[in-house]
Amino acid sequence: MSSQQQTARRLSSAFQQGVTRRRFLKWGLVGSAGVAAAAAGGFALLRLSPLDDRPKPDWAGGLSRQEYHLFDRARVALLPTVGTDLTPSDQVPVVRNVQGILGFMDAATRKDVATGLTLFDNAAVFFHGKRFVDLDEATARDYFDAWSRGNVVQRTLGTVIKQLTYTSYWRDESTWGPVEFDGPVSDRWGIAYLGNAPLPDQQSEQATEEGNA
Amino acid sequence: MSEVQWRSSGLPVTEAKDIKQSALTLDADVVIVGSGAGGAVAGYELARRGKKVVILEAGPYVPSKDFTERFPESLETLYQDHGGQTNKSGDLLVLQGACVGGSTVVNGCVCFRTPDFILQDWQRDFGLSDLTAEELAPYFDRVEKNLSIEENKEHEIARHGQLIRAGANKLGWSVKPFKRNIRECALTGHCLSGCKTERKQSMLVSYLPWATAHGARIYADTRVTEVLADGGRARGVRAEVTGHDGAKVADMTVNAERVILAAGAVQTPLLLLKGGLANRSGQVGKNFACHPSLYVSARYPKPVHAWRGAMLGVYVDEFLHPDKGGFVLEDGGAGLAELSMTAEPGTGEPFMQFMKDAKYLGGLVTLIHDHNVGTIRWEDGRKVIDYQLANSDFPSMKRALKAAARLHLASGAEEVYVPSSDKRVIRSEADIDGAIEGLDNQPQHLRMVSYHPQGSCRMGADPDTSVVNSDGETHDVKGLYVADASLLPTSIIVNPQVTVYALATRIAERMA
Repeated sequence: MSSQQQTARRLSSAFQQGVTRRRFLKWGLVGSAGVAAAAAGGFALLRLSPLDDRPKPDWAGGLSRQEYHLFDRARVALLPTVGTDLTPSDQVPVVRNVQGILGFMDAATRKDVATGLTLFDNAAVFFHGKRFVDLDEATARDYFDAWSRGNVVQRTLGTVIKQLTYTSYWRDESTWGPVEFDGPVSDRWGIAYLGNAPLPDQQSEQATEEGNA
Repeated sequence: MSEVQWRSSGLPVTEAKDIKQSALTLDADVVIVGSGAGGAVAGYELARRGKKVVILEAGPYVPSKDFTERFPESLETLYQDHGGQTNKSGDLLVLQGACVGGSTVVNGCVCFRTPDFILQDWQRDFGLSDLTAEELAPYFDRVEKNLSIEENKEHEIARHGQLIRAGANKLGWSVKPFKRNIRECALTGHCLSGCKTERKQSMLVSYLPWATAHGARIYADTRVTEVLADGGRARGVRAEVTGHDGAKVADMTVNAERVILAAGAVQTPLLLLKGGLANRSGQVGKNFACHPSLYVSARYPKPVHAWRGAMLGVYVDEFLHPDKGGFVLEDGGAGLAELSMTAEPGTGEPFMQFMKDAKYLGGLVTLIHDHNVGTIRWEDGRKVIDYQLANSDFPSMKRALKAAARLHLASGAEEVYVPSSDKRVIRSEADIDGAIEGLDNQPQHLRMVSYHPQGSCRMGADPDTSVVNSDGETHDVKGLYVADASLLPTSIIVNPQVTVYALATRIAERMA
């Protein structure tokens, strides 16, 4: 077992203290991606970040300041486009779209998700001495990769944040052109609406019934 | 019988915005909970026989013209829990339609009759001696005719299907075109977002308009909260009408001597459990299965454009029978959002390279014959789908994955991506065992999706071990019926919509 895995196990164990098993297991996929939901209660910040004092945009009312910075860091780490003709992620409303997906959650799940995201951010202190929001891009990617091979909590959180970020990027129309994705086509192609199917022939229906009888 | 009033497009639906009073009481011969495969078919079959039918749908009415062909948006507007319904551990997305027309609006149009060997299992293990292939054949015939179910023609087999068919032929595996319920498929590839131009013969454009033509009334935004029963007989339902802003608009009571639950294999048992009804056997909510499926993507040397053409073209039934594996491989198209979630090619540049090459990706869907090990229940006022892939099913899942990898490679793929939480890429036959045998049956290790929840109110002859009889009526409450995939005593391996259509037709016919 690697030192990262050992640390992960200890961290996960510590995290579950005071947490009911039922709620701990409520890690769930949400929206078209997955969103983690976890334990009750809060999770104090283990280390301050320079970003803690930096404001979030006005539109980000559905995210805490920490969540905004976490997803913005995830955007940068997960969606590199340098050297490609892909749309740069800073030209796509990735974090805003994440906020939209999170907005569909019921209040209890949303609270659980917030706790899970805080865990993800803070746990990086154990591995890299910094919160996730302060990791450089390469280290942030290593962090994701390590968690993809970790315990169930790590796998869940890593997958959830990735899928939220990925979907929030690729759902935006500006990302489609470089990969030749067609998007909606029916109106563009002028496809006619067929309307409702004609009523079944009643005599035929009755004949079938008599056959059944 | 009143005059039949068929309309060529649209559907007369009463929505929350149409309701002005705070309480409504309706009287009907039959009230149906849910407007999907079971509810719509039963509604039409009863209405055309002169019954006064009311259909209640918890989800919204979304006319076809409002479908966006954007999958992430469609998840949020047409699917249960805005596309976020999962099992308890969150590693299985359970996708169900939650709109007028139910899952039939958002499915992939795939049509199979119930396999004979499944019916034989039901006869042998559940005393369902009347559900023979011969007995059900006329019902299958009828729904297949009504819904224009036909085998895909050559132009409906997209590039990804052509590749898979060639690979299967190379391996000597049985491969066949799908049958689908569609008229003049426009080849948009957007089945899972609803068919905007009304080619898919979902309930939205077939049985529901037919039911209303015969006088059935449909209420959207109306969630049934209680089944009314006394003296061992069904008496109707209570419901709440809720606006799209989440505010309650009205209470509704429907008085009816017959109640049909067709809200799907998650909601139907929840409703029964809430009222403590029809559960002498203790089986309500038990025996849940769901065909956990995986989307196995692979990169091909030439463009595939998996989003172009009919979404589902061909399937491999070589391993359909449990003695040969108990799984099916289905060629499946996908859009960008789906592709971004199915594989783990690595973080950062590897992922973006994977997506940059999205046009080269093709996909296979694996469906396995899972055991009925799940439970649907309430916990602290919240629904719980307690389903984890059984250890006894995991070998089948791995066999399906291996077969999908082999098929992709035989079809010419250069890299196959195992849909796991960690990076597993297969480039040759020699890689397959190593990549797949190392998988553990642990939560969150595989990226599973279920499109086919079933089995949570199973049929059977014995009231001590089953919830409903072969006519769909609950053993315990007269006049209370189930007509959705909850009925199925075992998982049926293949896509279940036609099975539900046929059973609902039969149930309605025998009820009338």
